[in-house]
Amino acid sequence: MTTTAQRLPSIRRTRRRTSTLALICLIALAILVLIPIYYLIVTTLKSTTEAASNPMGLPSTLDLSVYVDAFNRMEYPRAFLNTFLITLGSVAGVVALGSMAGYALHRKAKSRLASIAFLVLLSGLMFPYQMSILGLYEVVKGLGLMNSLLAVILINIAVNLPFATLLFYSFTATIPRELEEAAGIDGAGVFRTFLTIVFPLLRPAVVTVAILNTLSAWNDFMGPLYFLHSRDKQVILQEVYRNIGQFSIDWASLFPMMVLGVLPLVVFYLILQRYVIGGVAGSIKG
Amino acid sequence: MPHAPAEQLRPPPPTTAPSPRSGPSLAAGKKRRPGAARAQVRRNLPYVLMVLPALIIFGIFFIIPVIRTALLSLTDQSNHSRETSFIGLENYAEALTNPQIVAGIQHSLIYAIAVVVLQNLLALPVALLLHSKIPFRGAFRTIFFGPAVLSVLVVGYLWSYVFSSNDYGLLNTVLRGVGLANVNWLGDPNLALGSIIATQVWQWFGYQMVIYLAALQTINPDLYEAAALDGAGRWKSFCSVTLPGLIPAFQITVVTGLISGLKVFDIVISMTNGGPGYATETVLTLMYRKFSEGNYGLAASFGILFLLVSLLIGSLLLRVFRRLETRFS
Repeated sequence: MTTTAQRLPSIRRTRRRTSTLALICLIALAILVLIPIYYLIVTTLKSTTEAASNPMGLPSTLDLSVYVDAFNRMEYPRAFLNTFLITLGSVAGVVALGSMAGYALHRKAKSRLASIAFLVLLSGLMFPYQMSILGLYEVVKGLGLMNSLLAVILINIAVNLPFATLLFYSFTATIPRELEEAAGIDGAGVFRTFLTIVFPLLRPAVVTVAILNTLSAWNDFMGPLYFLHSRDKQVILQEVYRNIGQFSIDWASLFPMMVLGVLPLVVFYLILQRYVIGGVAGSIKG
Repeated sequence: MPHAPAEQLRPPPPTTAPSPRSGPSLAAGKKRRPGAARAQVRRNLPYVLMVLPALIIFGIFFIIPVIRTALLSLTDQSNHSRETSFIGLENYAEALTNPQIVAGIQHSLIYAIAVVVLQNLLALPVALLLHSKIPFRGAFRTIFFGPAVLSVLVVGYLWSYVFSSNDYGLLNTVLRGVGLANVNWLGDPNLALGSIIATQVWQWFGYQMVIYLAALQTINPDLYEAAALDGAGRWKSFCSVTLPGLIPAFQITVVTGLISGLKVFDIVISMTNGGPGYATETVLTLMYRKFSEGNYGLAASFGILFLLVSLLIGSLLLRVFRRLETRFS
């Protein structure tokens, strides 16, 4: 009795010590994660000489003219709009097509055709589409879609459909059929039932698919690089790329462009943080 | 796609797995009457129409390109000559003997494996810590996940500045500050790929951590209680409850990590552009180069080669995981 009574506080003390140690490790890691981002931001506000002599300190003056310059040089509103349209189109397409397909394939899972169709779609999970980008180039050219936002949107949809369909398929399994049957008795067709009853219940999956696709479509560089050639069609990242190619030494004018390049998604993340992390976490339910 | 006719044409009605709501006429009659068949088609039509758009888009922008690339890889198509002829496997022979391309394939593989291993080594313990009762969990989670929303291209430019061997390079400034010599992180062929890998571990471990956290939350707390009742200590219950519960998440991070690692492109373009020499060329950067040079047939061939490699790795991994799962459950 006495021994356990004596031992207990010491166990508690070691446990507290390990958790303090863990906290210190986590803080160190957090600093390591944040330093490059902090560095990116403060460097944009310094002159080249100040950046070299005092890399980590706060800027001595607040001069936002570099941002105005970068904004103009990137033709930011146009590039932003293109990126936005591509992201919006891709997300809407993947959610619409993926939810319909995932639902229908699950409800008809016993039919052989449906299982073949499902397997065909799932094959897309196994390999990166980038490997067949030359064939894709020919297809896009053949369809007359070269240099159009629609090409990038359709490619994004095709590439992300397999995972979206899988997720919607698994989610449909959690929705009781009785709900649909009741609607069917009321005379609603399959599609109406899907839209009014099933789709709202698929919301968690919609959030996951929408978040994952927003991140990947917004940050996609390779698709636009291959398929969008004229400047009026190009996206934000291509503007960053173009300017870095031209002024590879002039970091002072580059950094603001990089900040402008990532800013929209960072704002998106900070505002919708809970959904973004929840959406990514939801991807393991596929 | 002629779904409905195909079903009608199949000689014996294929063990018509009747859907639960298929009418009594089907279940009762062994022979399918045309009227019944038509009714079934009509009942299934809405479902077919719901799958069709997905299949069409996927077919046009995924399956056909794969086939076209495979065909292209058997020709000498380029923009250097107007004539294109069938040359069999010559492109593959060249791809497998050209040291630059072989190195590119190796780099992609090394990159994918290293990133997956290092990310997991970081993500798993951090997730376990954040799953426990530690203060500021939410803030840590937000910070660690943060880099995942940044564009890889921009992250590459940022880090190439941090790694720079010029006077302003942040990392070398720190090294000099503690009395060490400058290191040429991106200019040394032996270090360049490692530097690139480090940035991607920095950027993505938080993403994997979120996946592990989600998996940890799905573990039934009763299992821990049961283990405690069985007299299991912390370590034992970790091994018998936590680890098995993490296997599905582990599977996801490894498989998706490897497949997305194999297609590494943006980060190389922005940090080293394949250099020094071809020390950091990967399959996709080489493909883009060959494509820009106009050697379409050759570029297509190592796309296909690599597609086969990723398929092989994918199916191998799935088999390993299936075995792991049966052992633990």
